Amino acid sequence: MVTYIIRRLLYSIPVLFAASVLIFFSVTAVGDPLAALKQNPLFSKQTIHNIQERKHLNDPLTTQYGYWIKDAVTNKFGTPLLQPGTKIWDDLKRVIPHTLQLVLLAEILALLVGVAIGVYSAIRQYSIFDYAATTFSFLGFAMPVFWLALMLQILFTNIFIKWHVRIFYTSGLSSTDPGGGIHFWIDRLQHLAIPAMTLMLLSIAQYSRFMRASMLEVVNSDYVRTARAKGLPERTVTLKHALRNALIPVVTVSALNFGALIGGAVITESIFQLDGMGPYFLGALFNQDAYVVMAWLMVTATAVVAFNLIADVLYGYIDPRIRFD
Amino acid sequence: MHRSHFRLVLGVLVAVTSLIVAGAAGGASKKSTAGSMTFGAEQEPPCLNGFTGGCNNTWTSWTAGIALASPLIVKPDFSIKPYMGTAKVVSKKPFTVLVTLSKKAKWSDGKQVSADDLIFTWQTIVDPKFDIAGRSGWDSISRAVKVNAKAVKFIYKTPYAPYKVQFATSVLPKHALEGLDFNTVWDTNYNNKAGQTMSSGPFKLQSYTKGQSIVMVRNSSFFGKRPTLDKITFLFRTNTDTEIQAIRGGEVDAIYPQPQLQLAQLRGQSGLRVQTHAGTTIEHIDINTGAGNSTPLLGQAWFRQAIAYSLDRSGMIKQLFSTLNPGLPTLNNLSYVTGQKGIYVSHFAKYQISNKAKRLAKVAAIMKAHNCTKGGDGIYSCGGEKASVRLGTTSGNKLRELAVEIMQAQAKDAGIEFRADSQPSRLFFPRISTNKYDLALFAWVGTGDPAGQVDIYGCADDKTADNPNGYGGSNWKGYCKAGVTNALKASDAALNPKTRINLVNKADAIMANDVPTIPLYQKPTYFVFKTSLKGLVDNPTLQGPTWNTEAWKAG
Repeated sequence: MVTYIIRRLLYSIPVLFAASVLIFFSVTAVGDPLAALKQNPLFSKQTIHNIQERKHLNDPLTTQYGYWIKDAVTNKFGTPLLQPGTKIWDDLKRVIPHTLQLVLLAEILALLVGVAIGVYSAIRQYSIFDYAATTFSFLGFAMPVFWLALMLQILFTNIFIKWHVRIFYTSGLSSTDPGGGIHFWIDRLQHLAIPAMTLMLLSIAQYSRFMRASMLEVVNSDYVRTARAKGLPERTVTLKHALRNALIPVVTVSALNFGALIGGAVITESIFQLDGMGPYFLGALFNQDAYVVMAWLMVTATAVVAFNLIADVLYGYIDPRIRFD
Repeated sequence: MHRSHFRLVLGVLVAVTSLIVAGAAGGASKKSTAGSMTFGAEQEPPCLNGFTGGCNNTWTSWTAGIALASPLIVKPDFSIKPYMGTAKVVSKKPFTVLVTLSKKAKWSDGKQVSADDLIFTWQTIVDPKFDIAGRSGWDSISRAVKVNAKAVKFIYKTPYAPYKVQFATSVLPKHALEGLDFNTVWDTNYNNKAGQTMSSGPFKLQSYTKGQSIVMVRNSSFFGKRPTLDKITFLFRTNTDTEIQAIRGGEVDAIYPQPQLQLAQLRGQSGLRVQTHAGTTIEHIDINTGAGNSTPLLGQAWFRQAIAYSLDRSGMIKQLFSTLNPGLPTLNNLSYVTGQKGIYVSHFAKYQISNKAKRLAKVAAIMKAHNCTKGGDGIYSCGGEKASVRLGTTSGNKLRELAVEIMQAQAKDAGIEFRADSQPSRLFFPRISTNKYDLALFAWVGTGDPAGQVDIYGCADDKTADNPNGYGGSNWKGYCKAGVTNALKASDAALNPKTRINLVNKADAIMANDVPTIPLYQKPTYFVFKTSLKGLVDNPTLQGPTWNTEAWKAG
């Protein structure tokens, strides 16, 4: 197992390196990062010159990339293009936990609900519940995230305007005076609830479909029939024998989802003004700050690789037939 | 019901009820109390040292920047008045400005705001090793003479007429910053070397939580009237829809958004007030008269005049702003804005013909006089050159994209084709600044003062191998007229306000004939706040909505 993990980690190094090269050259090829400043007549030429010197912007792109790699390794990604007093790593350390809070809340709830719906739909195939769940799933897939987010914002704003009851906040991570301890976390939950709902709906739709399909396949298999023939209660057959094996595709999808969402649920976080990885990436992209974009990419790519690895390791626990060479 | 199901349902009910109870209590506590308010800031400052290029952003000065007062202040009517001090010309040769600070002006750590601070501010701004965003005026000072503990004489190399704008800049505390790297200090705070927050303004910085908020609290050392509010919290709400829902739902008490159609839903909502003015951001069309354009017709003044006549600018503005700001005026001057009474002269008004038939007849007359004939597609050709030009703007900006569509239709009716040529700003501006365009719709962010116009419309100033015609640094139009250059240059050195206004307007009158640029409108400002708040007054200049926070009162 350990050998397997080490081997997978070693494979990920060239993957991350290739990704960094691709992104650096794509971002820098787009245009001059100081173009907007240069067209501002109020902006001093000396300042533009200073930035060019500090970030080696007049050097060939390959040299610039070399400087970045050096900074990334020796100086935790260094500083953004225009703010020499800001450390990129400090910003990443700030935004990653916010994204994790949102993603964990949304994905755990989505997994619980999605798996439950999927299992129940499978064992009650072609029932009203099954048809309703299927309809809901397709609705969830088809609904644009930005629209759903806005509708939820308007709904809860209108609830406040009408009844003056603030169940959930429509933006931000915290109130101006959230207090400490349990008060802080209740306040945080009130802020994360609507964004989490937005993310959850799509994930529930996805997980429930995967779970239903996988469960239908498993409940008709020989070992499940054998379990029933042994006289085991239906509940045990479903939850202990069928569910465990049916979970494998859902584990794959959820691991990939987790990894991708660490990079930020870009639209959701931006709409709800959550200080997470998504808005951080968008801001960097808008400012053409290749240094921040690169750092973000490395973190996201690492997360995707890590969660893929976690998914593979989890297979071994869920399905004893899988062995790691 | 099965016992475990009952427990589950009970648990969910308890959780939801506690959230509602906590929410209801929270909702009540978030209402503006007598001493505090929340402001939804549309942008987050990249960092707090607004002097440096990386942090230079209007929202830096409108949020945390209110901690740093300036000798002079720009009022909503564009006049520049004494604030923490005064500035007056005491000698014309050499040009000398005496800046005197209020005796009451002191820093929040107890030290006086002093003459040394003024000199330190100048020295810091002109220090080439620092990434200062703008050095205009400061780099014209040759030396500074300390008159007393509160006054300094700044002696200039050449007369600098817009000196008042220059001294509407915040003063830096020497004792807090001397010896530190100004490029990196004050990135997330305004602390002195002992870790105390520094302020000379009505509020001081209490906390800056990146990505979330800036909290300002009353500065008891403020030189002016004691601020009424205890605290102003700036919450970053950079998404338009979110910002609007936040003020609708009472999550913030005030917002200062960019013009956008969604704002219409706030008009008429009880409990909210909307103030709107024509600001100092000038939307205009630059015309490339020289190399890099796609047709030599653009080099002819008569053709540029025909383009100007073909546009119903007032009609377009009505279409763009009919719901948000129905009274937004058409801009008819390149250097002054409509709010500047007694200064602003409508030189470009002659091109505004609202009657469509008359407008088309005017264009037709010009074209006929230059032997242009209409082709089968309704577009003129003049000497074999089709009257077809590119019109570009920054794609993604809905108002500008809509403006382009409206103008395309207007010009087409008049027999001139505007070919769409928009790109994202990161690609658009590099093209403009290298003269690869025909017509470009974008904005200059101004102050209401015409300082530096020679850089945009002047020439023969800075001839180099890269710039053989010596166009001003931001003159990408290939436009060069000695009368304009000389008048604008002279205006920057003219100390008599009337002389200066006359010189600027003289240049503007020439340009109104040559049409290197077509002014469109001043981007309107929108200040939306709860009616329970008092003392909030929109300042459409760069001074912004928070120019008078000391006068704000929560209801």
